[in-house]
Amino acid sequence: MAETDDDVRIFPVETRFQQLARRPGGIPRDKALAQAQSKIDEAKPAFDGWLNEQLDALLDVVKRAQTENTDAEWAEAANRYCRQLRDVGTTVDCELLTFIARSFSEMLDAITMGAECDWEAIQCHIDALLLARQKSYRGVKPEQVPDLISGLRRVAEQISISQP
Amino acid sequence: MASPTINFRDTVILIADSSSYLSMIVHSILRGFGATKILEVRDSITVLQVLNSQKFDVLLFDARLPPYGGLKLTQAIRRKADNENRMMPILLMSSDTRETAIRRARDAGANMVIAKPISPASLYDRLAWVALTPRQFIDAPTYFGPDRRFKIEGYPNGVGRRKGDKIVEVANESGPALAQGDIDNLFSAARMGKD
Repeated sequence: MAETDDDVRIFPVETRFQQLARRPGGIPRDKALAQAQSKIDEAKPAFDGWLNEQLDALLDVVKRAQTENTDAEWAEAANRYCRQLRDVGTTVDCELLTFIARSFSEMLDAITMGAECDWEAIQCHIDALLLARQKSYRGVKPEQVPDLISGLRRVAEQISISQP
Repeated sequence: MASPTINFRDTVILIADSSSYLSMIVHSILRGFGATKILEVRDSITVLQVLNSQKFDVLLFDARLPPYGGLKLTQAIRRKADNENRMMPILLMSSDTRETAIRRARDAGANMVIAKPISPASLYDRLAWVALTPRQFIDAPTYFGPDRRFKIEGYPNGVGRRKGDKIVEVANESGPALAQGDIDNLFSAARMGKD
């Protein structure tokens, strides 16, 4: 929608952040990034506990959806956990986890939009997440497990194809 | 972008994300940058509450922050005329990086979108961009926020918003996800003092 020039006021803004950021004494970028990575590494020990909590909650939502006559909101509830796994994985060197969670999340998006629920495809993704949780798979990149990735892609594509 | 040096000391930053772990990671990254005054909240209602009682220098929201979502929250902050945080930099963290989603964030008044998963480099560089790039504010009947007129690579006329500006459709509803560099292009100020 176009607005007339009379309706619009344009003005410069200098925020306190801009003023503070320009002060001398800041940490050079390279050092700041190294320090940030070090802080992330310090937070990593808490990752296992958090990951287990997220996966347990996700499994619980899916299990209840399978066994009880739940409404369609289960897919969105499950997706909340998938999105969190996806958003954190790569940052803490679990790129494979992010890949699987992204695929699962896209599948759940499709189900929320009305695609048919394929429990086999869902179970494939859960199994893959449980595999990626293992310490031996930390640092593994998706391209290092091509069979797993192509399998997930195949089942996810079937769900998206069935979307009305 | 050349390597900038940003001084984060005494910068008051609000992180709002429903994920406690992701929030902790972002908090850790910011501490690595030298920030020490960081507050974390889990929902947009709490954001509005703390904004009423405290002044912040940078706001970092999850785009899906419950219950209203980061976009509505951004609009609410920008539109509240008596809010002293109204012109604060707002950076939205989002895993939905389709062009249409980025445009919505921009139209809500966000200064920048940071693609999830977040890395220290992506966060530092976006904060540096916000800190070091002068950007005018627009106060119009339908919008309050940073100037949205952007030059997009391949769209020489930019994205118009006002009389005389050309409207250029740049996104489909279901387009592909954008890389952080493409997101940045959408947020690259066009005018910088000249057309």
